[in-house]
Amino acid sequence: MTMHIGQAARRENARRHLAGRGRFVSDLALPRMLHAVFVRSPMARGRIFEIDTSEASACPGVVRIFTAAELNARCTPWIGTLGHFAGMQSPPMNILAEDEVLWTGHPVAMVLARSRAEAEDAAELVMLDIEDAEPVTDGAAALRPGAPLANPAARDNLCYEAVLETADVDAAFAGAAHVVEASMTFGRHTAVTLEPRAVIADFDASSGALTVHHGTQTPYQFQDVYSRHFGLPEGKVRVIAPDVGGSFGMKLHVYNEEMGAVAASLILGRPVRYVADRLESFLSDIHARDHIVQGRMALDAEGTILAMEVNDLTQVGAISAYPRTSAAEGNQVIRLMGAPYRMSDYRGRLSVAFQNKVQTSQYRAVGHPIACAVTEALVERAAEATGLDPFEIRARNLIADDAYPHVSATGYQFEKLSHQACLAKLHEMMEPDALRAEHASLRKQGIYRGFGIASFVEITNPGAAFYGVGGARISAQDGAVVRMMPSGDIHCAISVTEQGQGTETIIAQVVADQLGVTPERVSVTTGDTATTPSGGATWACRGAGIGGETALRAGRRLRDRILTLAGALVQADPASLRLENGAVVDATGAARITLEEIGRIATYRPDTLPDGIDHSLTVAHHFAPTGYPFDFTNGIQGSLVEVDVETGLVRILKHWVVEDCGRIINPLLVDEQIRGGVVQGLGPAFFEECQYDADGQLTNGSLADYLVPMACEMPDIEIAHIETPTGDTILGAKGVGEAGTAAAGAAAMNAVNDALRPFGARLTQTPMTPLRILDALDAAREERTDP
Amino acid sequence: MKLDGEQFLNADPQTVWTALFDRDVLAGAIPGCESLDQLSATEFAAVVKLKIGPVSARFKGDVELSDIVPGQSCTLSGKGSGGIAGFAKGAAQVTLTPEAGGTRLCYDADVAVGGKLASLGNRLIGATAQKLTDAFFANLSDALTPPEEARSA
Repeated sequence: MTMHIGQAARRENARRHLAGRGRFVSDLALPRMLHAVFVRSPMARGRIFEIDTSEASACPGVVRIFTAAELNARCTPWIGTLGHFAGMQSPPMNILAEDEVLWTGHPVAMVLARSRAEAEDAAELVMLDIEDAEPVTDGAAALRPGAPLANPAARDNLCYEAVLETADVDAAFAGAAHVVEASMTFGRHTAVTLEPRAVIADFDASSGALTVHHGTQTPYQFQDVYSRHFGLPEGKVRVIAPDVGGSFGMKLHVYNEEMGAVAASLILGRPVRYVADRLESFLSDIHARDHIVQGRMALDAEGTILAMEVNDLTQVGAISAYPRTSAAEGNQVIRLMGAPYRMSDYRGRLSVAFQNKVQTSQYRAVGHPIACAVTEALVERAAEATGLDPFEIRARNLIADDAYPHVSATGYQFEKLSHQACLAKLHEMMEPDALRAEHASLRKQGIYRGFGIASFVEITNPGAAFYGVGGARISAQDGAVVRMMPSGDIHCAISVTEQGQGTETIIAQVVADQLGVTPERVSVTTGDTATTPSGGATWACRGAGIGGETALRAGRRLRDRILTLAGALVQADPASLRLENGAVVDATGAARITLEEIGRIATYRPDTLPDGIDHSLTVAHHFAPTGYPFDFTNGIQGSLVEVDVETGLVRILKHWVVEDCGRIINPLLVDEQIRGGVVQGLGPAFFEECQYDADGQLTNGSLADYLVPMACEMPDIEIAHIETPTGDTILGAKGVGEAGTAAAGAAAMNAVNDALRPFGARLTQTPMTPLRILDALDAAREERTDP
Repeated sequence: MKLDGEQFLNADPQTVWTALFDRDVLAGAIPGCESLDQLSATEFAAVVKLKIGPVSARFKGDVELSDIVPGQSCTLSGKGSGGIAGFAKGAAQVTLTPEAGGTRLCYDADVAVGGKLASLGNRLIGATAQKLTDAFFANLSDALTPPEEARSA
C-alpha cells in the first residue's frame, strides 16, 4: 500500500486560490456593514488636549465617531506580561489613546461610515490637539537613570530583565587562550503579509452572539480574548479565520484596531469591518527584532569553545504585546546562544526596554536569527583567531551526533540532533575548497566573493512551557474530529490552521494513511471555532508536529472503530483486519468489505447490526505534547555572495540548507517552507528595515521606500535533509516553518564578511545595505592608513 | 530635514523686508494658501492646502516672526497640523543682503514632519518641500517686480 506520509503532494488549496476562489476576510461583505478608519497620532509621544470630531461627524456617510471615553469603556484593558517572566511590567492598554499618545500611529479616534472612502474623508476632518513631548527612541538611553518615561504608566523604561549563567563562566574566560568579541545591531523589520490584517466583527443583539471573521492564525485564542475582554459568554463568541493571506506570527497578537471593531459592533449592533491599508500595516503591525547585542566567546588553544557571554538589549515599543509579550523574543535570544555547540559555560543578560515606537513581538523564528547571527559571527572570528577552517572549527565544537540526550549551557534539553551529519552534508554540497580556489582567482580580477555558514537549532512542538505556565490562556494542545461519511469519504475538523503553508494538505495525508484511503478522499476543515475543536492552532512550528500527531491519533481511533464494526459484519477478529485502498482487508490482503459498504450499513441500516455495537463513525481526540518540553530541530545553512566594493551592492549567488525536521510528511511543502523561511531571513539581512528618525517618526512606511526581497534578488536555494524523528510522538514530525529564517541572515553575514576579508572590513549591523558596506570599507581603509 | 537656498529679488532690502511682513504679499506667495490672518505685527494664522505625494491635506497653523533685525534678518517659525495627514513644524533663518540692483535673500530652514507625511519617506517630502519653497520665492519675486518693468520685459 502506498503511504501518503512522505509524498510530495501539492498544496490542496492552491488550485482554489489560483482559480480566484479564495475566501479572505478582506473580500467579505456583510449586509449593513460599516467601515472603520482610525485617526492616528502623528507624533510619537504627546498629551491629548482635544479631539474635535464635529466637522467630521457631519460628513456624508458617517455613522459614528468614537473616542476613548466611549469605546474603551466597552473593553477591559489588556496587559502583556507573563507570570514566568519574574518582575516583568507592562502598563495596561486599551483600544484608543486616552490621555497620552505613545507611538506614531497610536489610534486616537475611530470613524465608522458606510464606505471606507467616506470614513477616510471624514477622518481627515477630525482635528487633533496633541501637545508633543520628547519621545524616547533609543533603548540604551531609556535605561539610564533619570531618563524620561516612554510610557508614563510604567515604573521605568525597563520592561523585563533576566540573567542566565553557569557557575564557572568567569573562570572559563580567565583561562581562555582566545577571546573573540562582537557588537551587533539588528534592525527593525515587519511581516509585510500579502493580505493585511483584516477583521469583520458582527454582533447580533437579538441572539447576543458575536461572530468575528478574522484573518488570524489563532481563532481559539481570539475567541477567549473577545469573550473575556468584552464580557461575553465564550459560547456566544465565534471566530472564523477563513483563507489568511500570510501571517508569519504577526497575526496572533491583540491589536487596538481589531478590538475596536469588536467594541464598535457591540455598541452599534452592526457588522464593522477594518482592513489595514499598507501604510497602516507599517504603522500598526508588530515589528520584529530591534536588538543590540554584545557577545564574546572563550576558546582554548585548540579552538574548543569554552564559554560565551552575551548582553542583549531588546527595544519593544511603549507596551509589551498581548497575550504573548514582547519579552519572549529576547528570552529566546539569550537561551539559543551557542545552542549547537558543546560549550559548558555561559552568561546571558537580557534587558527589554520601552520606547515610543510600534510594539515588537513574535515574528517567524522568534529570537533565532539574533542568537544564530551572534553565535556564528563569534565562531567565524574564533576560526580566524585560531587559524581553523570554518568547517573544521564547527566539526570540533558541534555536539556529536551520538552524544544525546544533551543539555545546553542555557538549559535546553535536546532529545536527538544531527549537527555533525548536517555539517558533513553541507560540506559535500558546497565544495568549499573549489569555492576558495575560484574566489582567489576572481579576486585578481577585482571580483570579491565570499561564503559563510551557520549552524542552528530551532525550537518546535512547544508544550505548555511556552505560555501556559506563565498564565496565558494559549492552548498547548490541539483537537481533531475525524468522521467517516456514509460514502466512506473522510472528514477531519482540526484546530491547527492554514495560512498558505499547506496545513490542510498534510493533515489529509496523515489521516489518509491511518484509514487506508487516498488524501483526495479526506476533506479538512480548519479555522472556525464553531466547527472545529479547540486548540492552539498554528504558531511556533507546531502545526505538523502537534497538529499532525493529533490527526494521526484521531485517525487511529476511527480506524479501530471501523475495524470493530467490520469484524462484526464479516465475522472476523478485528485484530486480524486492517484498512487498505478504501476497504477492510484481512491478513492475506484480500478485501472483505469496502468503507462505502460499512458507511451505508452504519448510516442507513443500523438495524442490521448486532445489538450493542457502537456504530458511531465520528471520533474526537485531543493531543498535548509530552516528553521533552520542546522538540528541537537542527540544521546548517551556507551562503555565497559577491560584493561590489565600489557600490556596496551584494549579489546573493547561492544558498544551501541542510535541515533535520524529523519525519517529513510532505517533502515539497517542507522544502517550500524552508525556501520561504530563507527569503524571510535574507530580507532583513539585506533589505528590510523600519527606519525611524530621532523624533520617533517612521520614515519609510510604504513599499516605495521599504525594501522587500524580490524573486530576482533571491538565489537558488538548494536543500538537503537528515531525518531524525522525535520519539515523543508516533508521527515523529517536528516543525520546519522557521528553520530557513533562523540561520539565513547569519550565513549571509558571514559570507559578506568573508568577501570583505581582503579589505579587513566587517559588517556587524543588519540590514547590510550598500551604504553600511561602503562605510565598513571606509572604516577599514582609515584604520589601515591611520593606525 | 534641512532646507537651504538663496534667491535674488529685484527690489531693495527695505522693500523685501516690508513685503515679508505684508499679509497680502505673503498670502499671494504661499503656495496653496487659503487664508492668512494677521494676529499681531509678528504673528499670522494660516490655512494652507498641500498635496505631498499621495497625501493631500489642509494644514492649519501659526507662523511667528522673531529674532528681528529690521531690514536684515529674522526667524520664521511655524507649526501646522494637517489632521490625519500629520503635522509639519519648522523654523527658517532668513537673511537679506543688498546686492547690485536688488537683494539676495538667503534662507536656512530646519523642518520636521510627522505622521503620514513622515512615513511616506523623506525622499518625497524633501523634493516637495523644495518645490514649495521655490514656488514661494518665485511668487514673492513676482510680487516685488514693479508692474512697469514687467510690461517692458
